[in-house]
This record gives sequence, C-alpha cells and structure tokens, in this order.
Amino acid sequence: MTGFVIRKLLRTLFTLFLVVTFVFFVLRLTGDPVSAMMPDDTDPAILDELRKQWGLDRPLGVQYLEYWFNLLQGDFGNAYRDGRPAIEIVAERVPATLKLTLTAFAFIVIAGFPLGIFAAVNRGTAIDRAIMTISVTGFSLPNFFLGILLIFLLSVTLRLLPAYGSDHWYNLIMPVITLGTAGAAVIARFVRSSMLEVLNAPYIRACRARGMTERAIIWTVALPNAAIPTITIMGFMVGTLIGGSIVTETVFAWPGIGRLLIDAVTARELAVVQTVVMITAASMVFANLAVDLLYLVIDPRRRYASGTGE
Amino acid sequence: MEGPAEELKADHSTPLEISGLTVSLKTGAWKCAIVEDVSLRVRSGEILGLVGESGSGKTVTCLAALGLLGPAWQMEGEIRLARTRITDAPSAGQLASVRGREAAMIFQDASASLNPIEKIGKQLTKTVARLRGVSTGEAREIALDLLRRVEMPDPEERLHSYPFQLSGGQNQRVMIAVALAGRPELLFADEPTTALDVTVQSQILDLIKSLRDETKMGVVFVTHDLGVVKEVCDSVAVMYAGRIVESGSVERIMNAPRHPYTLGLIESMPTLSGHVPEGIEGQVPAPDKRPPGCAFAPRCEKAQEKCWSQLPLGAEGDGGDSVACFFPLEGDLGRTERPEHPTQSRSADEPVPDTLLSLNDAACDYDTRSGKFRAVSGITLSLNEGDRLAVIGESGSGKSTIGKLMLGIEPTSEGAASFMGKPVPMLGTSDHVAFARSVQLVPQNPFLSLDPRATIGSQIEEPLEIHGIGTKQERRARRRELLESAGLSPELAMRYPHEISGGQCQRAVIARALALRPKVLICDEATASLDVSVQARIIELLRELHRMHDLSIVFITHDLRLARSLCSHVAVMRSGQLVELGETSPMFEAPEHPYTSQLLASMPDVESTDSPTMETTQ
Repeated sequence: MTGFVIRKLLRTLFTLFLVVTFVFFVLRLTGDPVSAMMPDDTDPAILDELRKQWGLDRPLGVQYLEYWFNLLQGDFGNAYRDGRPAIEIVAERVPATLKLTLTAFAFIVIAGFPLGIFAAVNRGTAIDRAIMTISVTGFSLPNFFLGILLIFLLSVTLRLLPAYGSDHWYNLIMPVITLGTAGAAVIARFVRSSMLEVLNAPYIRACRARGMTERAIIWTVALPNAAIPTITIMGFMVGTLIGGSIVTETVFAWPGIGRLLIDAVTARELAVVQTVVMITAASMVFANLAVDLLYLVIDPRRRYASGTGE
Repeated sequence: MEGPAEELKADHSTPLEISGLTVSLKTGAWKCAIVEDVSLRVRSGEILGLVGESGSGKTVTCLAALGLLGPAWQMEGEIRLARTRITDAPSAGQLASVRGREAAMIFQDASASLNPIEKIGKQLTKTVARLRGVSTGEAREIALDLLRRVEMPDPEERLHSYPFQLSGGQNQRVMIAVALAGRPELLFADEPTTALDVTVQSQILDLIKSLRDETKMGVVFVTHDLGVVKEVCDSVAVMYAGRIVESGSVERIMNAPRHPYTLGLIESMPTLSGHVPEGIEGQVPAPDKRPPGCAFAPRCEKAQEKCWSQLPLGAEGDGGDSVACFFPLEGDLGRTERPEHPTQSRSADEPVPDTLLSLNDAACDYDTRSGKFRAVSGITLSLNEGDRLAVIGESGSGKSTIGKLMLGIEPTSEGAASFMGKPVPMLGTSDHVAFARSVQLVPQNPFLSLDPRATIGSQIEEPLEIHGIGTKQERRARRRELLESAGLSPELAMRYPHEISGGQCQRAVIARALALRPKVLICDEATASLDVSVQARIIELLRELHRMHDLSIVFITHDLRLARSLCSHVAVMRSGQLVELGETSPMFEAPEHPYTSQLLASMPDVESTDSPTMETTQ
C-alpha cells in the first residue's frame, strides 16, 4: 500500500513538471510582454532595453532552466509592472477563490446527492422525470449565461441581492449557484444511475430478505456502495470548478485568482499567469491524488488489491 | 373482519402454508401468470424440495412467500407463515419484521449476496442486534457463536474479513449464519449449492441438514438437481410451467414417479453408475404461451386429446402424494437392468488407434500481477482416435487450461502439446488455421459464442467460407446437413440467437464446430448452463456424433455423472495436477486416488443407495 501511494505521488509530481514546462513555453511563444505593456509608439531601443532587463533576450532554453532554478528556491518571479513577487500577488487573491469554490463544492454535494438518491428511489415516477429534466437543463446552461440570468432576475428585477461585492455571506449566493449548478446536475444524474445499479444487486435483495427496512437499506447499504464510483466524478469536479470560477469571478467581479488570471493574461504578466496556472494545476492534480487515496480508505477491495497485488 | 395487522394464532408446527397461490406479472394492460394455483405446506423440521427447470416458478414462489416481489407483481390465494399472512398485504414495516424472524432466505450466489464493502462480522452483528434486540456487544458474541455453528474455519478471524476475501463456500456459510440470526422457523434455500464445487456442496448440504435437526426449522430447498433432492429432502414438490405437477415423499417420487415430467427429469439425470440420460424433447413454454390444457402435453409421449384441452387437477405440495396428470404412471421406475455402458474396452487383437492429441509433461503458467502462476504442471495424457476423454475437477483445478493447451490458446511453459505427432500451433499463427480444421471448441455459454446480430445459418456456414470450402450452393447444402446432424430443423437457419432456446443455441454451436469435419471436439463445460432435460439431449447428441462421425471428444466438466455417461476415459485434475487417469468404469468402480473417491462420494446421485435420513431427531 505504501508503494502504491509513493507511485501515485511520483506520478503527480511528473504531471506538475509537465504543466510547468507546457505553460512556460506556450506563454513565451504567444506574444511579447514588453510590446504588450508599452505604448505602440515606444522607441524600439527602450523595448530592447526592457527585454534585456527582464532577461527576455536570452535563449528560451536558458530562460527555462533559470525559471526552474528560481522555482525550486520558491521564487515564482516578479510582476513586470510593480516588481512585486508574483506569488504575493496571487496569494492575496486565493482566499476569495477558495471561499467561492469550496462553497460551490458543498452546494454540489448537498444538492446533487439527495436529488440523485431521491430520483433513484422514485424511479420512473413523475418525481424522477422532473429531477432529470431539471438536471439536463442544469448542465446545459453555460454558467456565464446562468450568472447573467441570476443578476437580471435577483438584482435588476427583484432587487433582492447586490449584483457584485464579496463582503457579506449573501454575496456568495449567486456566484455559488452559477458555479455549482452544472456540477450538481451531473452528480445528481450520476448518483441516480449508480444507486439504481446498486439497488438491483443481489445483496440488496438479501438485505430485504433479512428484514432490513427500505430506509436502512438505502442509507446504510446502497448509498455507501453507490458513492464509491461518484468519487471519481468529484475529483473531476474540482477541475470544472476552477475553470468555471474564472468565468464566474468575471461575471460577479469576484476578487479571486480567476479574475486575476484574466487581467494578467491581458497585461502579459508572465510570472503572474504562470503562478496562477501552476497553483490551479497543482490543486487539480492533488485533488485527483486525493481521489485515488480516498478510494483506498472507502473501498476495501481496492485497499487489498493494491496491498497484495502490486 | 381480520385486519392485516392482526397476528394469526401462531402455528409453529407449520411454518409455511400456501394455498391456491397465483402470482402474475403486470405491466400496463399486459398481465401474465408466472405461478399458477400453487399449494404447499412445510412442517417444522421438514425439508421440502421444490424442483423444476428454469422458468418453472420456483424462485418466484419463494420470493412471494417473503413478500419480496416488487410492485409489478400481483398475488392471489393465500400464503401463511408461522404467525403472519403475507397475502393480507401487511405494511412494509410489518413485512420487514416478519423477514428474518419468521422466515429467512439464502441465495445461489452467496458472494454477491453480502454487502461487498462491509466486514462480515459487522454485517452479522448488525443483523443479530436488530433481529434479537440485543446490544452490539452481546450481538457480537452471538455472531461468533453463529459462525461456529455454521462450522466456519477460524471464526474469530473471519469476523474481520470482507466477503471478497472468502471462498464461495465460506460466503454461503456466512449467509446461512445471517439467516439463522433471527431464529427463523422457515428457511428458503434458493439453489444454495448450485454455484459451489461438489465437495463444498456436500458440506453445505450436511450443514443445512444438521441445522434443521438442531433448530427444527422448516426448509424449502429450491433446486434443479434431483441428486441433491435425494440427498437432503424429506418431501418433494415438482414444478413445471408455474404449477406443481407432482408431490410426495422423496422415496416415492424418486422410486415411483407418477407424472411423466417427473419421470423425464429423473431420466435426464446422469448417474454415477452410467445411466445414459434421456432428456425430454421440446422446451418449457413461455409463461404467456402456456397451452390451455396440461402445460406438459406438448412434450409428453402419453398425452391424449384430453390433456391438450383440459387442465388436470393440481397437485398439492403438502407432503402427501398427489399428481396433476390424467394418465399417471404406475409402478416403480424400472431401472433394474444394468444400463448400457459407454465404455467398451478394446479387445487385444484390435489395432491400436492413432494418437490424436497429447500432452507430454506439460505445464502452463499464467502471468499475474504478483508474478507467474502455474495453472497446471506435469500433465501427461493422450487422446486416441475414437476416445471420449473426460477432464474432471473442481474450480481452479486447471481443467480448462488443459483444453486451452490442446487448442493452442495457451502455450506450454514446459513440456509439449502435440497433435498427430506435431506440436500444436499457437492461435494466431498461420499453421493454426489448418489445425483448427481438425480440432474445434464448444464453450460453456452458447449465447456468448454466437454473434447476436447474425443468423444461425450464416454462422454455421462461416467456417466453410473462411476456409474457402465449396461453392455457395454446396455450403448451403452442407449447412442443412449440419443443422440436421445437430438435431435442429433447417428453418432455424434464418433465426437469430435470441430467437431460439439455450439448448438450440448450443446445438447451433456444435453444428458450427462440426462444419469443418474436425477429428476432435473439445467441450468445455458445454452443458453446464443448460437445464437437465436439455443437457441430457446434448449428451445424447454428442454420443451420436461420436458414433456416426468418428468424432473424438474431450469433455471438460465438473460433473462426474456426465463424465460417466459420455466418456470412455477420465482424467481427474486437482490443483493443477493430474491425480488419476484411466478408463471410466474401472475408475468409477474402484478409484485409486483418495481424491477421486472423495469426489465420487460428494456427487449427489439419484441412484445412490443410501437413502436420505428422514427426521433423524424427532
């Protein structure tokens, strides 16, 4: 089992290495930060001077090695404009994004699971069909559209909630719904089909035959078994949430790393972009690692298979 | 009026009484009776065998008695357990309190009937605590005691095991322990040993008998195997097409069956003494296509006009003798004369036949995650022209590997596999194509080995096309010939696999295997997924093919009775080793290896002389 964990960890680190490399080259091959930053009529000599100052005139390979050299010492580079460390700029935006994505994640679980279970238990009835219809609508709506729709409805028309801001708990409502609805819909569908499969398993019939009540069967036997495969989907969900947060933060002017990323890309602040991408990539990769490890905790069959088999 | 909540006067001497039960499946306007007018009675301490082939309604009857059928099912008639009338439509809560206490159930696939992600100790403890209303601590003690009572090896350690860590037999012991948790007065055992190896089966059967003696619970034992019935049951009810056609004591039914179907079932059973199973022509009618008269009439040799139009009075499975037949059979089953022996030893002056397939000190390794696994080793055996060689053994004994070595599906890791003096070419090599014309496989599941989207006819012709044999007209003619020699009517050529029965599918697979006129047919559990009456007919077909077409057969099976009825030679496998090899009758009469004797002793047999023990401790 330890071997399994170590192998997973090494694979995770390798993925991160690939991400850093990919982002480094893509950013440098798609445009020159100096010309993007300075007015169009700037003297080319000044541009060259700036490039030299920031080390952009050296061969790409050298820049790449230097980047790694600094990175391994915890230096993510500085922003070109104000010269502040990129990591600092990103770090002050992380809490807002965490607040948004974690709340949305909770929303996904709290809304998705019960809806899925409820639909499965009432399979084929009007309840089931209603939940499934809502679910299709849920993940078909692009989230920026849903966000605008919510602002129009709740802020402009009904004047219940402010359209932007991040100081109060109620500021979270619209961004969280915008960000989490698609995920909740996917989870509801997945939990439903997983539950239906489990409810047809021989061990459920055996539980009924020994007098367990339907409620006990659903919550103590069927749900734990049905939840196992949904963990994989939950891992993917972390990625979807981070991706979705870029759009959502933009729509609601939420001061997180999503909006920071948009601003930094426009301004070609290479170090900032690189840092944001690395942090998001790292959180996705570690979420998947967490999923793999969670399987070991939850599913005894995997625990033993990875302990003895490999 | 008696409300459903009201408890009946407890009748502990009769934990199950079913009268006039009809169970129908209803979807929309469509309604179809699956079980019709069934009456049964089980006394405490009695084991009633509920016997019949697939689709006869045995399992549905049991599920109905526990109220386990879903909302799409409708029940008429009466089902009464020791204290509760199930047919009074008790509430979900009342039903839950009945299950496990008044009646419990065990299933065929025990490993799939336990929660896969919970330790068995926990599952058992929770069930005990709930059904007996004791604390978790006490329940744990009781759980341990129950595991001891079901003779589980190392019960303390097993409490901490998950179902996937136990064997099928051990899981069935756990299921039985779970079933005993609520001290039920009745146990439904639905084919509890069908998926198990024979030696394990005989242990579980003994266990069920001794628990019955100890607890005096009544048992409804559902099975299709009359040999098992003879071993464990006191009385028998035979079901056919949703009805009970005959019932009586086990001795009477086995020795003097009165319903032609019961006789057909008994005659279909292969025996250790070499009775050649006869089988029943035709197939069980689908529930919505049952004839107005006796459902067995279309398959019955004795059927007369009356049988087709009128329904004979139903038999009652109450332990008393009854038969639902207008023209019941009389007298004993006349099986006194020694049956035809499949084995004829060659006389000395006959020429020694050519060796077709042989394995010489062969071993086979499989790659697994933890390295190489040796499936078989040191196997030396040969198949001569005209031989019918049975390879028998329990699951994991390596018997299928022998087939794979002979077919070139797996390479030998040591030693050699050869066909007519040359090494067996590996599957995928160009030499294998020619080899495949001589050696063909008949696998276990005919549905899986037929293309669901191609007609039977085109699949039978396919080998001829692949090998470029004959013109189109010639292939057509050969197809007709093949269908006939496999006992199928030529019209079936245009059907798809899902449109014909399992037995017909297996015949089609055999016809396809015969297309290239092979010398050897390798049958890997070729009849294991078929009903006994159908299995018997396939065995008959194989015997005929052997006789008519000089076919040599390798018959891989777990059923020693089949080996006896079909084969001239037997190879006994155990844990990858060949433990005994020889001619069939001498080996069955005087096995040399103790394992062979053990297998023979474990095999339930309708002809066994030691009669089942009846109510030993009354």
